[in-house]
Amino acid sequence: MNLAWKEMKKNKARFLILGSIVFLVSLLTFIISGLANGLSQDNAALIKDLPKGQFYMTKDSDQTYNLSKIDASTEDKILKNTQDAVAFSIQMGFLNDPGEKQRSVAFVTSTNTKSKLFPNIKKGEVVLDSSMKDKGIKIGDALTNNQYSGKLTVKGFVEQKKFSHAPVAYININDYKEIYRVKEMQLVFVPGDKSPKHITGLQSFSKKEFLNTIPSFNAEQMSLNMIVWFLVIISGMLFAIFFYMMNVQKIGLYGILKAIGIKTRKLFQMMWTQMVFITIISLVLSIAFSQIFNLVAPKGMPFSLTFETTFLLSIVFLIIGFIGATLSGIQIRKVEPLQAIQQGEV
Amino acid sequence: MPLFTLDEVRKTFTNGEIKEEILKGINLSLKEGEITALVGASGSGKSTLLTIAAGLQPATNGQVVFNGNNIATMNDEQIRQIRASEFGFVFQFAHLVPFLTVEEQLLLMLDVSESKLNKHEQKTEIDRILKLVEMEHRKDAYPSSLSGGEKQRVAIARAIIHKPKILFADEPTASLDSKKSKDVMMLIRELTKTLNITTLMVTHDEEMLSYVDRVVKMSDGLVIEK
Repeated sequence: MNLAWKEMKKNKARFLILGSIVFLVSLLTFIISGLANGLSQDNAALIKDLPKGQFYMTKDSDQTYNLSKIDASTEDKILKNTQDAVAFSIQMGFLNDPGEKQRSVAFVTSTNTKSKLFPNIKKGEVVLDSSMKDKGIKIGDALTNNQYSGKLTVKGFVEQKKFSHAPVAYININDYKEIYRVKEMQLVFVPGDKSPKHITGLQSFSKKEFLNTIPSFNAEQMSLNMIVWFLVIISGMLFAIFFYMMNVQKIGLYGILKAIGIKTRKLFQMMWTQMVFITIISLVLSIAFSQIFNLVAPKGMPFSLTFETTFLLSIVFLIIGFIGATLSGIQIRKVEPLQAIQQGEV
Repeated sequence: MPLFTLDEVRKTFTNGEIKEEILKGINLSLKEGEITALVGASGSGKSTLLTIAAGLQPATNGQVVFNGNNIATMNDEQIRQIRASEFGFVFQFAHLVPFLTVEEQLLLMLDVSESKLNKHEQKTEIDRILKLVEMEHRKDAYPSSLSGGEKQRVAIARAIIHKPKILFADEPTASLDSKKSKDVMMLIRELTKTLNITTLMVTHDEEMLSYVDRVVKMSDGLVIEK
């Protein structure tokens, strides 16, 4: 006999309250996780979208990419010896739109014109992140920069390329050198799974390590991830507390069931079935709501909730719920039939 | 040969350094189909004796022999199996499962006792027992909608549906008024005689003794009169 189902059917309100709390906590977790991921994309999509590989910057830059200056001979040596390697630089700056309004951008330039990792830009041209379209900038617009003598013509747009919460502006290496009065590139990127090479004067970073050198990225992500995991832990504790309260109310019943010969294992199965049922229903609803939120969230809001993240968090919720319910169920093992009988009517 | 024998059963409770002997060597045999009532003043040890006999708590010393097997030496799982399939219980309160209907309470007991009946046979048996306790018209009712007497009738039906060898009843009429108490006692007598179930019962109510075959009087942890 399915005792778990019978109890849920009879005590709908009680289980609805538990389910709605799990739903609200998981929905909040999914939304915060979506925001964390969205902010992460907003902060470093330029780097995150690059394939797996190694980043190199000078040792004396103290892990700050915009203080790094890789000398030309070292750069040439790496680029000649390593296929697909590309040297590039990133600098925060401004572009003036045709209406002379200043727009904050992250200028990016690269050396390897054959590389598919960065677009090939001719002198006097610029390719912008598509978010600039919303600011009224169109293909063919001529943009200016206070340190640049000519005009940069918008040649096209790329999707989701941001750095440090600013839209990326890809420019030609000579234009970059003119704007920033520099000859050297900041970084070299070598795509592939190979282990990092030792290059005199340079320090290597994996993608994850490099992301953590970006100012604010680590602090921002750590805070948001901490909120997400706290919510996961809180939901586990909620499960434990709710099932504990329900179990305390049912101690007498458990005792009587044990007295008539029901197996303790069956009582645990009853509790687990209820926990899995409530969690799955709540998770399905919160996944649906978070995906709807994903669709209707304002365009400017950095929100990105992937299937993988949702799936991973859902599994964690199930495991935490299971642990919480099981810990509270230890009372079931301890229940003495005799005590329950002496307690009176259940 | 008696179905059930208690041989020199002793029970001592320890509270800190204080040891209190509640049962001081009980010898008692139950014959098949007989209704035995344990009577005595509060604290005489009758309820403790009933719960030891029913395998709900262990004796400190002595043997509890059912069908030739000593329950006192069995592990928890073996005792649970006996409780599920060979014993029936009626308590002072009905202790029905609040989220099951009357019919489902009996179905649960058949399930717990691992009944070999198929679904159709189970349904027929439930209908038959509910008819015996005159509760067939309330088989879809939940305990919350039953009166005290009705609940106790369902509890009796649950205690005998799996055809136990022994029925243990701990003050089964204590929560009922005089009229309902007599009805319940008549029902217990009628059913246990019809189904040949041995009964061990604890009661305070002297009026109920007219429904039993044997009265065992206890005082201060000893049987003083059989």
